[in-house]
Amino acid sequence: MSDATIEVRDLRKRFGRTVAVDGLSFTVQPGTVTGFVGPNGAGKSTTMRAILGLDAPDQGTALIGGRPYRDLRTPLLEVGALLDAAALHPSRRGRDHLRWLAHSHGLPTHRVDEVLEQVGMDKAARRRAGGYSLGMRQRLGIAAALLGDPPVLLLDEPVNGLDPEGIQWIRTLLRRLAAEGRAVLVSSHLMSELEDTADHLVVIGRGRLIADRAVADLLAAASGDRVRLRTAARTEALELLAREGGTVTVTDRETLTVTGLPVERIVELLSEARVPVTEVGAHRATLEEAYMELTREAVEFGSSPDGEEVTP
Amino acid sequence: MTTTLTPYRSRLHPARAGFARLLRAEWAKFWTVRAWLLVLAVAAAVTVVISQLGASGSIDTGAGELIAGPDGTVVRDAFRFTHRPLTGDGSITVRVTGLKGVRGGLESWAKAGIIVKKDLRPGSPYAAVLGTPDHGVRMQWNFTQDTAGSTADVASAPRWLRLTRKGDLLTGYESADGRTWTKIKEVRLDGLPRTVEVGPFVATPDHQKLHRSFGGTSETSGGGEVTGTFGHLSLRGTSAAARWTSTDVSGPIPAGVREGATGRTAVSASGSYTLTGHGDIAPDETVGDTVQMSFQGVFVGVLFMVALGALFVTSEYKRGLIRTTFTATPGRVRVLAAKTLVIATVTFVVGLIATAVAFPLAQSRLRANGYKPPAFPDYSLLDATALRAVVGSAVLLSLVAVLALAVGALVRSSAGTIATVLVLVILPQILAFALPLPTAHWLLRLTPAAAYAIQQGLTYYPQVEHNCLPESGCYPMAPWNGLLVLVAYAAVALLLAGWRLRRRDV
Amino acid sequence: MRSLHAELTKLRTLPSIWWLLAATVVLMVALGAAAVDSVTSQACLSPADCHEDTVKLSLTGVWLGQAACLVLGVLSMGAEYSTGMIRTTLTAVPIRRRLLVSKATALSLLTGAAGVVAVLASLWTARLILPLHGSTLRPATGTVLCLILVALLGLSLATLLRDTAAAIICGLGLLYIVPLLADILHSPTWQHRLERWAPMPAALSIQATRNLDHLPIAPWPGLGVLAAYALGLLVAGSVLFGRRDA
Repeated sequence: MSDATIEVRDLRKRFGRTVAVDGLSFTVQPGTVTGFVGPNGAGKSTTMRAILGLDAPDQGTALIGGRPYRDLRTPLLEVGALLDAAALHPSRRGRDHLRWLAHSHGLPTHRVDEVLEQVGMDKAARRRAGGYSLGMRQRLGIAAALLGDPPVLLLDEPVNGLDPEGIQWIRTLLRRLAAEGRAVLVSSHLMSELEDTADHLVVIGRGRLIADRAVADLLAAASGDRVRLRTAARTEALELLAREGGTVTVTDRETLTVTGLPVERIVELLSEARVPVTEVGAHRATLEEAYMELTREAVEFGSSPDGEEVTP
Repeated sequence: MTTTLTPYRSRLHPARAGFARLLRAEWAKFWTVRAWLLVLAVAAAVTVVISQLGASGSIDTGAGELIAGPDGTVVRDAFRFTHRPLTGDGSITVRVTGLKGVRGGLESWAKAGIIVKKDLRPGSPYAAVLGTPDHGVRMQWNFTQDTAGSTADVASAPRWLRLTRKGDLLTGYESADGRTWTKIKEVRLDGLPRTVEVGPFVATPDHQKLHRSFGGTSETSGGGEVTGTFGHLSLRGTSAAARWTSTDVSGPIPAGVREGATGRTAVSASGSYTLTGHGDIAPDETVGDTVQMSFQGVFVGVLFMVALGALFVTSEYKRGLIRTTFTATPGRVRVLAAKTLVIATVTFVVGLIATAVAFPLAQSRLRANGYKPPAFPDYSLLDATALRAVVGSAVLLSLVAVLALAVGALVRSSAGTIATVLVLVILPQILAFALPLPTAHWLLRLTPAAAYAIQQGLTYYPQVEHNCLPESGCYPMAPWNGLLVLVAYAAVALLLAGWRLRRRDV
Repeated sequence: MRSLHAELTKLRTLPSIWWLLAATVVLMVALGAAAVDSVTSQACLSPADCHEDTVKLSLTGVWLGQAACLVLGVLSMGAEYSTGMIRTTLTAVPIRRRLLVSKATALSLLTGAAGVVAVLASLWTARLILPLHGSTLRPATGTVLCLILVALLGLSLATLLRDTAAAIICGLGLLYIVPLLADILHSPTWQHRLERWAPMPAALSIQATRNLDHLPIAPWPGLGVLAAYALGLLVAGSVLFGRRDA
């Protein structure tokens, strides 16, 4: 068996006239949390269903550890998935839901109790699922994904419906799972949910890949070499830096944004010319900003539907 | 960032072989939904209760006493008999020269021939060689047994018939010219005394007319009368009487049909005998089927089984749970097989409990209402007929659930599935009670409703013409064949479902 | 009026509605034609000999059409409960009784339209095969009303039980199992009771054009039995609907 990875190669899937996924390729590496991001309707769920062998792609492959999902003999021990937390029979107890899943792989019942404890559902699982809150359903769904102790995890919008404490919990959990050497793919339509969690991002829009890169790279690219400068002598600073080759834009009455000059050079120039400066700093973009920049032209229901896709 | 990590491996190991695991998972899915267990219990209870209700009617045997044949079958044994006693071995030969109805119509099973009978009491053992208008020459014995000879029609061309007795062996022959004889059959009649009654006879079943429309069927039967002519009547062997005497076996036509009509026998100068008579020598199929009457609750049980079968799969589609199922077991056909096996077993076991409880209760209730031996057999649960009906009804309930499961996997909606399957199983019955008989019979052959034939307790003999009325519990197919129709429906639906599941996205 | 319009739109956009309405028409015509045809070749060789109630026979299809109408009625409400849309609906139309009345009206309009088409088509097809004698007005109107009432029965069962499957089972049990029992039970008392007081055999006496004095229940009272079931359950449903949390 090869490494626990998810490999999607040239995946294409259309429903009627709508192209849901259009030639998508990416790989999820073990030991990382990979965020799978795109606006609603970008094709995230379709891709995940294709990876799990639920939807047959029109073209391309989706492999788990080098094999199609349908060839796995004990899939729960290789992939844990949370697709739709609401997929529960309302009159079945949460614990019984996990029990039939455990039976399907011949896993012992104490494993069910282990995962229930892990997600903090050991008490609630004795009640019927019909009365669960969305957060409880999410936790039960995560328990189901963890049941087989799988090296690959696929979670579709796991943060939905969780309270702030729950969100913190799941972040810690995902980091720990990745640290153990598992490949974790987490989808979300909100970039901010993945801040501090994901190591790597796969961004899609309208079924196509927009970005597939490490979070650190992405942030650096979005931040660019912009330097933020606060000074009382706005005009002098502007003239000086423009003369030295920088591009300067006025942000507000006291702040300037400079590109084209490294921060050290700016400080050197300004101190030589004795221009008073109260604050100099490299501008740091948020993940949200990076994402907005990437998807600006790829948003499906956006204002420019014929806009060019940004491909890295 | 990319540190070398040892890829993670699951620390768990699966126990058990693949399909056993799957069965266990599907079984766990079933029993953990309380409503389904409740439906099962209600199904069993309702089946038993309605069966009692169905058995609560009292008997209306109409005309007189019932006659039991040598093996206990209820029979009709009425005919015009011109006879002499025969002691020891011997043979009787006759040339049947004509057979016609007294007032025009001739029933297809009207009979003219020769008979060897233990005595003149109705229901006693006999063997006969006879001609019929539509079914050729036959040898029949002890009411239920029948063998075909040639296809000659005695109503249009004369035919020679011969019956010989040698100990317990009786042999029937026929001939076109009285010289070359063809053996029809040799049969053994146990318990024949040394002296028996032999001679020519005529008989004809009643003419039956049927009016059917929604809201009721009326069946009228006219007492048919038939005349047969016989020539060259000869008896070989020892007879205590020198002359032929004539008797109406079972007496005159019973009251209510045509009062007091008796048979007639005339002898012409040339030695030709003309016999006129009524009645029939055959099993009586107009009595109620007490086995079938004990299973009326199954019609209602079906409703719940259809619901269970459908919901076991459609509830998963409704909530998207089917994705979890197919993620845990990507082999979708295997999932379908496991689901089928679980629902089939559960519904069969519960159905069997229900029918096994309902049947003896209904039987004792029927007995209390006058359906008593000897006319009606006293069935115990382990009699072959009863056991077939009890187990068969449980199989029927289970197959209906399987059909619903398969249709559910195809249609994916509970409302559509339940309505389709129920209409398929129940509506043919309702329509069969109202539409003209041939159409009704086709409905009960081609739709899953054919399976109810498994509940029939009466044997319907081919040598008896009768209106097989669905409302009297008669089905046009033999019990197991009827059940096979439902098996075929379920199998086809399962195949389609399997084929569709493999291809379709979920 | 606005809520009626909304309900009509909702019904129109129910994915299965056109299938169900088409099924009502096609099944009714097909079964009616089959029934009429089976009689011509056997019992009614010439019109003079024919003792069949040919009008009733040509409307035999109601036995199939009612299943589609029941499903339609159940889905019109059941679909809201199963998707949770009922909450949205109730937010838009907070007066629940008015909501139920609009839903019932919208449903009646649609099934009524399909029923008229189905009945006219059935009679027309039958007339091609066999001469119909007797007035067709009462059986025809009665059958359309019957289909509407069955759809309303479905709606009220779904409102009462709040579950599609349970409502379908109860409805089909009333429509099919009870008449079947009326046919096969060997107890004349029970038979008579069921024929008079169960919705289905009773309502179909509206189709009779012959032997009216032999009917277990007279035509209009018979339809009244079904109406009592459908409307009684609808009232019960609306009372419960008003009291319960969505």
